[in-house]
Order: sequence, then structure tokens, then C-alpha cells
Amino acid sequence: MSIEISGVTKRFGSFTALDNIHLDIPTGELVALLGPSGCGKTTLLRIIAGMESADAGHVKFAGEEATHLHARERKVGFVFQHYALFRHMTVFENVAFGLRVKPRAERPSETEIRRRVSELLKLVQLDWLAERYPSQLSGGQRQRIALARALAVEPKVLLLDEPFGALDTKVRKELRRWLRRLHDEMHISSVFVTHDQEEALEVADRVVVMNHGKIEQIGSPDEVYSNPASPFVYQFLGNVNVFHSRVHGDWAEIGREEAQTRDAGNVVAFVRPHDIEIENAPVAGGLESLVQEVHTIGPLVRVELAHGPELVEVELTRERAATLTLGKGQRVWLRPRQVKVFEASAWDLEDGGSGI
Amino acid sequence: MSTSSPRRANAEPRWLRLTLTAVALGFLGLFLALPLVAVFTEALRSGWDNYLTALADREALAAIRLTVFIAVFVLPFNIAVGVAAAWAIAKFDFRGKSLLITLIDLPFAVSPVVVGLVFLMIFGAQGLLGPWLSAHEIKVVFALPGMILVTLFITFPFVARELIPLMQAQGKDEEEAAISLGATGWQMFFRVTLPNIKWGLLYGVILANARAMGEFGAVSVVSGHIRGETNTLPLHVEILYNEYNAVGSFAAASVLALLALVTLVAKTLVEWRMRRETEMLAATLAPEATGTSTGNRS
Repeated sequence: MSIEISGVTKRFGSFTALDNIHLDIPTGELVALLGPSGCGKTTLLRIIAGMESADAGHVKFAGEEATHLHARERKVGFVFQHYALFRHMTVFENVAFGLRVKPRAERPSETEIRRRVSELLKLVQLDWLAERYPSQLSGGQRQRIALARALAVEPKVLLLDEPFGALDTKVRKELRRWLRRLHDEMHISSVFVTHDQEEALEVADRVVVMNHGKIEQIGSPDEVYSNPASPFVYQFLGNVNVFHSRVHGDWAEIGREEAQTRDAGNVVAFVRPHDIEIENAPVAGGLESLVQEVHTIGPLVRVELAHGPELVEVELTRERAATLTLGKGQRVWLRPRQVKVFEASAWDLEDGGSGI
Repeated sequence: MSTSSPRRANAEPRWLRLTLTAVALGFLGLFLALPLVAVFTEALRSGWDNYLTALADREALAAIRLTVFIAVFVLPFNIAVGVAAAWAIAKFDFRGKSLLITLIDLPFAVSPVVVGLVFLMIFGAQGLLGPWLSAHEIKVVFALPGMILVTLFITFPFVARELIPLMQAQGKDEEEAAISLGATGWQMFFRVTLPNIKWGLLYGVILANARAMGEFGAVSVVSGHIRGETNTLPLHVEILYNEYNAVGSFAAASVLALLALVTLVAKTLVEWRMRRETEMLAATLAPEATGTSTGNRS
């Protein structure tokens, strides 16, 4: 089922949580709402679910007006960050809940409920936990049960609010792959909220980057990562070095093609740490810098360098670092492989916003 | 002090610990245990037979019946209104919420005698509603309705007070989950909310019940002390005592004391259950041991 959101605005007192949001989610897509905390992503999700009402604007499901439809009648599955399992019910009863509360005419028979629930528990691979209580499960298991419970009513739309936010890294990775597969098997539209860019980029068909109640960019994971529409998107999706071209005239040189159209004094250049090459010998246009720190983090080597007063962060592979034999205080030359230039005014607007 | 034995840096000296413990225990014994023992000794002073006769007295039985009746009448109201108030406060944000919380505490803050007088001023013959009530031949003050009203007022905070922090701590995720799964408001309440608050509710009801049965001041003002008609157990105790009927008054008092003991036991049991459930919820979870099996299916 497709979801169309048009002109949705929501205020809490004087705080504008959502400001005139337009978003179309086609049937079958897995969409991530990505942004820092307080950007309005959860509020948007709750408005889609009917748990919050918009001050203005419309929500349509499959082309039909749903703005004033009660949450109960929207037929959406909702998964909470903290699972919200019914603590006094067994896993089985949790999953069966949606079927048991149906009006008598629609309610399946007891045997049918048993069949459906055990089918769902098999789907989330936890059928052996049916008689346990939520408190006896691990976080990852709880979230899978919460998913099974949401799917029991055969929703056309699945909404997930930071579904893996409370889990540790390993479980989180496992679960999000599993969610992706589940989504493809169920043929539903899913929207999930996250502040974890890696999660959004890995799982989603499309990523909606939000900030301050507005949508900054909508695009495929590749699009938003390699072609960010705004400085905010750039710095939110991964680490970044920011160079103000007024201070670093030579860096503006490097990004010349893009910078030429603008006033050279008014641009900022963004370079990802892994898009910078370090050379032991001077290179044309290279930035002379001093090595400050070298950290080895798993497969990567992170080098902090000082270029004048500015700190530059560079990420290298172990192999590359080994050939360079970097040491503290060493003089090197930096060469960016890819630079993105924005007008300084656009950056200033976002400056101080959360990011790196 | 010349002790050479090592002692923990954070421990008080032995003599201080002993003194403090002795003071605490002495206080408990003097003010809590001794009176309880005294009630039963006085009641049984002239033997079991006299004790039972005193209790089987027509007026004593009437007082017990009235006390129980008032409690049974008041508690359902308390439960309904208390749950509703706690629900509103814990799950919704609205203007005047802190005022409502303060109002709920009002019966705790006001002296019961004042409460009785206020009800006299409203419902009494000279009161605000007095003329209207007497015109319709409705008797409130110096009759059962008045006693029920003041007891309601006095016991109102217990259930709500007990439930507000509990419901606030539980949040509204589970309720929202129930609604998104298609439950109606009543289904949500009876299947999700009520089971989650049942022990807290029971605890509040036990306290409210103890207070309803033991209330003296407010009930005394509006009862009119009509023997065998508007005398509750606490009022009956006072009347008998003023008549120098020691056995009778202490026998009646022992019933109240027994009620207190039963309340304590019930309260302890419920507290124990509540703590166990909280512990179960807060129990640290074993690290994720579920299979990598989720990773291999494609």
C-alpha cells in the first residue's frame, strides 16, 4: 500500500516538529527516515500510524484519505524502539493479541489463531520461545517477537521506530539484514526511523534525510551518500573534513571546477576522510601537513594531521599506511580525491547542528 | 578507643551502631507493639466469654456491619475514580495537570474534622443544599449518605496516589501497541492496562480500605452518633469507652486492630509480589544467544 504525505505540519507548543512535509512512499518500498534526534522523524512516523495528529496536511493510504482515521483502523503494524511487548502475556499471547481483539465476526477460530501464531513464530525463528514471558527474552528476541506481533494482523504498512536502537552492534547488524529479507518476502511497504546512517544506507531502498522538521534530501542510499544535496546531509552521512576556502585558498583551487561559478571567498569544501590521499613527497596542489596522531582502528588507520591551525582527519587502509610509515611530527602532503563544494551561507545555516 | 582490631573505614563504631539500633527497636516496641498488645490484653482481661459476649452485642454487630457496608460501598467508587485520575495524569498532557495532582492530595492535607464540618455546611439543614434536600426529603447528614460521602472524600487519594507513579513508569507504549493492533479502548484497558497495574491497584485498595474502616474524625462529625444506626466501629469504641465499658470498647477495638494486622499481612504480600514483578522486568538479560541462524537464510 502506498503512502502519500502532503503538507504535514506539527507543532508542540512553540516547537515546530514537522514543517510542511511532502513525501510519497510507493508500494513495496523500504524507506528509512534518517536524522539526528529531535529532527521530527519519529513524529512523522507516529502521524502515519495515527498515534499523533497533524496540525495541518494530509496522509493518504493507497490514494485514500486517512488523515482522520483512528490508529485502530489504519491497519498498520507498528514496532516500538523498546518493543512494548505486553509484559504479562506469554510470547504466544503477545503475537495472538491482534487476532483475539478482532470483532467477533472477523475473529479467526482458536485453531486458526494457533496455526497463524506458530507460523509467525517460525517466520521470526522463535517458535521454541512461545511459552516464555517477554522478560525472559533477550533484546533481539523481544524485537523479533514485536515484529511477529505487528505482522499478525497482516498490515499493509509496517512502521518501525528505531527498531534496533536499543540493541548491541552485532545483534543490530544481524537483525537489519533479516528485516530486509522479511520485507521482501512480505510484499509490504515499510518505513523505519533511525539515527544510524549505516543502518539506513544498508537496509533501505530509499533514504529520507531529515533535519529541524524538514526533509533535506530523498534518494537512494547511493545518491544521498555520494551526491548529498546539502552540507547537512554531507556531514550527517559519515565523517567529514570541512575547509573554509577563505582560510584555505589552495583547497578552493582543488575544487576549482565547482568553485569557479561562485565567489571564491564564500565556499566551504567538504572532503570525506577516506577521500584524502597522503603522499610522502610534495605533489602539485598538495597540502603540506604535519602528522599529529596515528590510530589503528580494525582494518583502518586513522591519521590526524595539522594543516596550519586546522585539524584534518584521514582514513587509510592498513596496507597504504604501512607503505607510508607515518610517524608523529612527520611532514606529508595531502591530496583529496573527491571534494564537494557548498556555498558558505548554506553551511552556516547548518553549522552547530548535530553531525560528526 | 584502644581497639587494635581493624575496622572498615565506612563503618560506625560498634557502640554507636548498638545504641542506634536499641533506640529504634525501643521506639518501635513502645509505640507500635505495646499498644497492640495492650488492646488485646484489655479486651481479654475478663476472659474469652465476656469478650465474645461484648462482640455479639447487638449494637457492636450493627457497628461492624455499618463499617463493612461503608467500605464496600466506597471502594468501587475509589477504584473507578482513582484509576481514571491516574490514567489521565500518567498518560496525557493537559493544562492544569499539576493542579489536579495537588487536588488529589487535598484529603491528605486537610484535617478529617474539617472535612466533616465542610460536609455539614454543604449538606446540613442550615447548609447550602440543606433546604433543597429537606424539600425532597433526602437525608444526607446524620445518616448513611453523609458518612459514605465523607469516607469517599477521605479515602480518595489512596488508589490514585499508588497508581500515578506506576503508570508513569510503565509509559504508554503497550497501550499504543494494543491500539495499533486493532484493540478498542475497553479491550486495551482490560487486556493490557489492568493486568499491568493490578498489584498497585490492590495495594491502593488495601490502604483505602483500612482508612475507610478506621476513619473517625470526619465520620464522627456527620454521623450524629445514633446507636445501632449510624455508629461505625471506631465511633462505637469511643462511646463504650466514655461509658467506662472497658471490655466492650477494647473488644471492639481489637476487631479494628485485627483488621490492621490483616491489612499489614495483605500489604506485605502485595508488596512482595510487586517487587518480584519489578525485579523480573529489570532482570539483566542474558547476552543474545539466538542463532546466527537468522544470517543464513536467503
